[in-house]
Amino acid sequence: MSNAYLRFWGVRGSYSAPFESHLGVGGNTSCVEIRVDDHVLLCDAGTGIIPFGNEILKDPNVRELMIALTHYHWDHICGLPFFVPAFIPDWKIKFFGPGDSSLDIKNAVSAQMRAPFFPVGTETWLANIEYMDPPEENKIDHGPISFTFQSVHHPGTTFGYRIHVNGKDILYVSDNECLFLNKAIRQKYAEFSKEEKELYDAMQQEEYDAELDLIKDADILIHDAQYTPEDYRKKTGWGHSCYIDTVNTAIDAGVKELYLYHHDPNYDDDAIKIIEENALKIIDDRSSDLKCHIAKEGLTVEL
Amino acid sequence: MADNNQKIVVVVDDSPSLATLFERAIIDMDISLQIFDKTSAAAEYLKDNKPDLIFMNIKMPGKDGLATLKEIRKQPLHSDTLVLMISSKDYAQDRSIAKELGAIEFITKPMPIQVIKDALIKHLNF
Repeated sequence: MSNAYLRFWGVRGSYSAPFESHLGVGGNTSCVEIRVDDHVLLCDAGTGIIPFGNEILKDPNVRELMIALTHYHWDHICGLPFFVPAFIPDWKIKFFGPGDSSLDIKNAVSAQMRAPFFPVGTETWLANIEYMDPPEENKIDHGPISFTFQSVHHPGTTFGYRIHVNGKDILYVSDNECLFLNKAIRQKYAEFSKEEKELYDAMQQEEYDAELDLIKDADILIHDAQYTPEDYRKKTGWGHSCYIDTVNTAIDAGVKELYLYHHDPNYDDDAIKIIEENALKIIDDRSSDLKCHIAKEGLTVEL
Repeated sequence: MADNNQKIVVVVDDSPSLATLFERAIIDMDISLQIFDKTSAAAEYLKDNKPDLIFMNIKMPGKDGLATLKEIRKQPLHSDTLVLMISSKDYAQDRSIAKELGAIEFITKPMPIQVIKDALIKHLNF
């Protein structure tokens, strides 16, 4: 039996939140480790990758890993300049993410380490770095871990990943504004003719079906739940979900276990506790079997 | 088969309802509509065909609309093909990338049928 688990190294969105009032949930930005024996896949490389890098150095069996980036917004790559394994010669690190070619990925990863933003560039990385070209088929294998990718609703090209491990499907959708088109349709509905209303009614169903398809039957869903309804009203169209939409969509898609993720850095432990209580109430009110948790730094889930 | 004056318009969008919106919009216009629900199928068609206008959705299964536009712009045949983005992803970053790739307009979903008609009239010189 393989030793397989996932571990949250960073759970914040936007920017790190190293404040005493936040540390129950954690202050680092997006990074999740998925490990099967000596094979490691990292989802995103926010500041959470820094403590991961320091920890993995102690394990002599691992000298190779893959980093799958959802996109190149700063909170998802800002740990890389401080990711120690990249600076050590006997490491091999593969990068995958949105882009037409390996060069696109290399340029996006390297950009933040150019002068005048950082003192040394990625040319100082001594590890064997491979930037991957997009595969012909939508599937990438990394030892016993495989994954596919799909564009989601967030500024620029942003991927959600469906990761297959030990017979389980883990969905990693760090940044995604659930059902944005449906909200936009509802907002403008009164302006449409009868014929347009009929077509947009159908389009809302299509959009919802597509959202459900993305996360359908996930054993574990790690999903953007950045905002409370109050903040979402102010930040609709910023590319992030209200946790209520995340929970309801997960229930409708038949997800087994949901981790609310990419927490707003303005929310302290108490605020996120309220989000958790409200999420559990929605699940209870809907008589759903969905298991829902707050993604917390250091939390490990056996696979 | 398109006649000599008939304009060819490509729509790349995975929504059947959006396709119907376009079908309604082109009534009374001499337009041949080529609708693709996958960017890969559109890219294949565009290898050998130069339509008068392309409407490209962004969030699509497989390669998204921005990546597809980047890909087709690499072909000399499409260096100047007129492309309009049509998407609910009304984000500044998406607009900026689309503009860099030479998209001439960014239509935000949802829109009335008249907005499609107006774009067709404007860009096809009806």
